[in-house]
Amino acid sequence: MTASATLEVTDLNAGYVPGVDILSHLSITAAKNAVTLIIGPNGAGKSTLLRAIFGLLKPSTGRVVFDGKDVTGANPSTLKASGVSYVTQDINSFPLLTVEENLLMGAWVFRRDAPRIARQFEQVYAMFPILKEKRRDRAGSLSGGQGRMLSVAREMMTSPSLLLIDEPTVGLAPNLVAQVYETLAAARAATGAAVLLVEQNVEEALPLADHLYLLNLGQVKAHGPGREFDNARVRALVQECLLG
Amino acid sequence: MIFSTELLIQTVISGLMVGVLYALMALGITFIYSIVKTINWAMGEFYMIGSYIQFVAVHFLLGPRWWWLAALISMAGTFLIGLLLEPILIKPMYSRPMQRRDDYATVVTIALLLLLRSLAVALGGPYQYRPESDLSVIWIGPLPQEGARVAASVCALLALAAFWIVIKKTWIGLALRAAAQNRIAVQTSGVDVYRLDAVAFAIGVALAGLAGALLAPLFMVFPTNGAVTSVKGFEIIVIGGLGSIPGALIGGLLLGLVESLGAAFISSPYQNVYGFLLVILILIVKPNGLFGERGREA
Repeated sequence: MTASATLEVTDLNAGYVPGVDILSHLSITAAKNAVTLIIGPNGAGKSTLLRAIFGLLKPSTGRVVFDGKDVTGANPSTLKASGVSYVTQDINSFPLLTVEENLLMGAWVFRRDAPRIARQFEQVYAMFPILKEKRRDRAGSLSGGQGRMLSVAREMMTSPSLLLIDEPTVGLAPNLVAQVYETLAAARAATGAAVLLVEQNVEEALPLADHLYLLNLGQVKAHGPGREFDNARVRALVQECLLG
Repeated sequence: MIFSTELLIQTVISGLMVGVLYALMALGITFIYSIVKTINWAMGEFYMIGSYIQFVAVHFLLGPRWWWLAALISMAGTFLIGLLLEPILIKPMYSRPMQRRDDYATVVTIALLLLLRSLAVALGGPYQYRPESDLSVIWIGPLPQEGARVAASVCALLALAAFWIVIKKTWIGLALRAAAQNRIAVQTSGVDVYRLDAVAFAIGVALAGLAGALLAPLFMVFPTNGAVTSVKGFEIIVIGGLGSIPGALIGGLLLGLVESLGAAFISSPYQNVYGFLLVILILIVKPNGLFGERGREA
């Protein structure tokens, strides 16, 4: 394991149906205090990779090591308790609970530690003041952008050391894309977490990337420091993937 | 039938009293569905188990004076059985890749229904038992009510209040409400969703077990005694709407009222028919039930 790596995925195979692997011998690492960007055409296995890391999908073979501990196939609750948070694609909230109750759910893993809960609330409300204003409103009444903000904020309640983020801007209006990226930048700055970001919106995400992986058909097609990739190179690589 | 105000009031009271107990049963069904997303067809058998535990506890161990302690033991017993059975029977629905989850759950819970009924016949025989009750007639104003019935209704009300407190005021209640809305978000919050499923299943069947225990002196104890009550539970689900807790409560009271009024003022042998007429009426006017969602997935 490399010295600065928070997450190391080695030779991972995983899929939704027994015998049919979406990820095939896939290996990646994600470093502390850095954004690792995962891109690739549809069906490359980007979201599947995040699900397999977080334990929502059990890998058939391979290893997932987080902070030096083997967490391959561990339950999401174990991953969460050890400092991993997963922000899913869509708005991932509890629409009938209030904003405050939603955030309280984010504190589940340390629910018996009242002082820590109060501290985390303060921190999250400082990061997202609009959520404090709307804390008594039902989550379902928030706008699309605010809904995503709440999804991120709930995952920030544990001050994670690794954030898995799946296409945070998919389906959003362009003015909201900037808002979501601001949210993510604020979240990362506050915690110094390692971020593993899956994104289709390459142009927006590329400037954030410290390291980049391009996936195709469940394998790493290209990878390297973010600065070595520009839009033109990424486009050419994706085209290669699509045309075979 | 001669109409009198006293008879009307007495009928309404007795309808509401039995309605609270029906609501307990329906609440169990709808609660399990809202969390685990499956219908437990063996719900009546947990009612039956509750009634057997009540009989054994009252008749052999505690005596009729301690009927309320026996009811608590019955509830705890069915809770434990639910907690043990869920990981074996229901959990594979989610923990293994499966294409037809609903079909799996239906087959498994119907198999459980048959197993538990057969087990009851094997252990206790096809006989009817009745736990003794020394509760005397209670007068509500000028109107007499059977003591066991009043006690059962009061206990059911207390159980509903306790359920409400757990759901609204505790961490586990918050997680259960959250899980009913979004299973993925509950997992990304760090809740062990499988354990939560087991707790939800256990709470649901414990409500049925308690209903069985409380109604045992009135409706007797025998291997298929849960069938009628569980059918009523499902009637209430249709009336109130699947997955709706207020629907289960209001539906239970409505069914109790309709049955009671129908039996008193129309004809008592057809008591069970009035509930079905109400179900048909609701299906025509509001097909999703009074508080139901517009539809369900798969």
